[in-house]
Amino acid sequence: MNNKTKQRLSFFLVSVIAFIIIGKFIYESLSKNTVYFFSPSELYISTELPNGLIRIGGMVKKGSLIKAGNRYSFIITDFKNDISVNYIGIKPNLFEEGQGAVVEGKLSTRNSLMASKILAKHDENYMPKEVADALKKSGDWNKNYGK
Amino acid sequence: MIGTKIMASNFANGVLILSIFFSFLSNLFFFQKKFNLSIRLFNFSSTLIIFTFLLLIYFFYSSNFSIAAVYENSHTLKPIFYKIAGTWGNHEGSLLLFIVIIAVYGSLFSILFNKAESEKFKSWVIFFQNNLFLIFLIFLITTSNPFDIIIPRPIEGLGLNPILQDPLLVIHPPFLYLGYVGFSLTLSLVLSGLVNKNLNSNWAIISWPWVMIAWVFLTIGITLGSVWAYYELGWGGYWFWDPVENASLMPWLAGTALIHSMLVLKLKNQMKSWTSLLAIITFSFSLLGTFLVRSGVLNSVHAFANDPDRGVFILMIIFIITLSSLIIHILFSEKNKPITNFFLSKESFVNLNNLFLLFFLFVVLLGTIYPIILSIFDQTISVGPVYYNTILAPFVFIFLILMSLGPLLKWSNKIKLQALYIYIFIFILCLVLSIIIIVLSNSYDLILFLGIASSLFLIFSILSEIYKGSIRIKPFYLPRLLSHMGVGIFFLSIFLNSYYSYTKDFEIKINETKNFDNLSLKFVDHSIGKIENYLEMKTKFEIRSGKEVFNLEPSVRKYFQPNQITSETSIKPTFFSNYYLAINFPDSQSIILGARYYYNYLIHGIWLGLLLIIFGGFLSVFKKRI
Repeated sequence: MNNKTKQRLSFFLVSVIAFIIIGKFIYESLSKNTVYFFSPSELYISTELPNGLIRIGGMVKKGSLIKAGNRYSFIITDFKNDISVNYIGIKPNLFEEGQGAVVEGKLSTRNSLMASKILAKHDENYMPKEVADALKKSGDWNKNYGK
Repeated sequence: MIGTKIMASNFANGVLILSIFFSFLSNLFFFQKKFNLSIRLFNFSSTLIIFTFLLLIYFFYSSNFSIAAVYENSHTLKPIFYKIAGTWGNHEGSLLLFIVIIAVYGSLFSILFNKAESEKFKSWVIFFQNNLFLIFLIFLITTSNPFDIIIPRPIEGLGLNPILQDPLLVIHPPFLYLGYVGFSLTLSLVLSGLVNKNLNSNWAIISWPWVMIAWVFLTIGITLGSVWAYYELGWGGYWFWDPVENASLMPWLAGTALIHSMLVLKLKNQMKSWTSLLAIITFSFSLLGTFLVRSGVLNSVHAFANDPDRGVFILMIIFIITLSSLIIHILFSEKNKPITNFFLSKESFVNLNNLFLLFFLFVVLLGTIYPIILSIFDQTISVGPVYYNTILAPFVFIFLILMSLGPLLKWSNKIKLQALYIYIFIFILCLVLSIIIIVLSNSYDLILFLGIASSLFLIFSILSEIYKGSIRIKPFYLPRLLSHMGVGIFFLSIFLNSYYSYTKDFEIKINETKNFDNLSLKFVDHSIGKIENYLEMKTKFEIRSGKEVFNLEPSVRKYFQPNQITSETSIKPTFFSNYYLAINFPDSQSIILGARYYYNYLIHGIWLGLLLIIFGGFLSVFKKRI
């Protein structure tokens, strides 16, 4: 092996090692910071409950919203299954009963969630994409929800 | 009456088709080697398309609801300014704007570039530009014609998303497009250079202003979007790693790598094939950005009403353009003579710069498309900002240090190491300063420490360069000094901002006072009034911070058409920070306000850094050759 080949070989080995380290770093960071989305029905049928942060989307069940100070409790439904949600904080604009919503938080039991965030990026015409998909899946999609 | 309205639409469609026809003719004459005629026909075709755009603006201005795009995105109650801006606030209009910009860049180049000896080069550039133009024009006519009519004519329009009703947002998309689409000319220049075998330093000198101007526009566009998010969304931040923001960042990163490799091409006649590859990547990412925003695969604040079929079309267009560019690249690209660069030379540092920027691009790309890929397997996920921050941060430190050293080195030559000793001293000084800041503010954090030290190092190394070059700085270096200084200030502010800012959420009744740390907030007054097309609730808060007393007056707007609520934030700027308050619309019966208070440290520094970057880039557009 002459000098040049040696140099190339060592360069190659160093880059392979660097790639592996960086790749592992990226992979870990990505999987740690991924928030999975579930519809109430998906959660109902899942055998293993997700721990860590998840998102749940559906409609806020009519008549389920209870407010005490800045504590809220309500039910998210896809008209097949329900999840009850507890939330402490500021209620975002346009979060109302009978509207679509996505909440982020941790499950405390199979059908109740302690929410840390309510995502309300939608207006009256625009249904969050995940919610629309979830409702389509549970067969309760009404064309008027979308537009 | 109906007759004339239909005529208006038919007329506009006629002009569109005429424009396609002349664009075809231009290609035909190009193949017959009648270059002059071909260029003229392209210019004529582009004049026609500019005319149709003005026509569309007029339809929006006059609320002609028989045009579908106007009906869906406008309303008679809307202020005139926003009626006009509505032209590009929707898919059809924005696509027309996209095409207009391709045309304008092409025509401007054909007018401003007049070198008799490179006529062939010029006509090839226009040929490629013309075909990009044609592809998108056909896409426009077949899938998203802005001049589709509705019969009978509706009386009232559906309105524009009120969150878009903001002066910044009126100019944000055009700037972004001037950037994105500006890279189409870069692609045409590269392809023409490849075909004519003159992708050399002379090519780089000719192309430099065109690439830089696109880059400057893109930077302005991203900055405006960021400023808008800060003032309008009421989330208190300036960047959210939202997929649509990422979509504009990716071509920027590729474009930044491109301008650095072009420097090597310009001055050393090296990195030819790499530069052409980067140009292809840059424009492909511009197109990908358009696809991500327009196709509906993303779920974000920006995802307006979408149509998945169009997404498939755009994806096909990206595929065709990228693939054919790559084929031309492979067929015509000249092999570089093998050159060994010393590690401590400018060339190898530009290589490192490109490597880092493409790595950043890869990380952003992965975070952006990972959810899309998983959605094919029926899993819905989102990737949080922590992913980007943790991965990028350590590399940003190294990047900043390399960025401080790179410009000090020499082209091709080994630098005398003694010349760098002073920078070791400066680096130690920065570490010490960083420690002092951390100890004084009592926030012991490794990332903060490295962040402050590395960005200070960049700032100080530029200052020392200015000091050494004392009195007169050569104008040649000015753009780089300004832009790099901007990057230093930008990152320093980001690191300090993310550690010293804080947020409080609270609910408050009228006349109630809330106390946080050394700050008290009192809700003193509110009023509700109807303004133009919305209802506005104004509030008044009295803030006491130490000895200072001032008022913040955030408000919320309830728009009628469509029904939507937006928060108007109220900000009190001081030299180092912003006091920032946003409120929610209260429950109907009681006036209990949900409010969000932010203390934003050094946010001005972020804007200042961006301004310097833009200004440096802008100067560089007009930089005379070497």
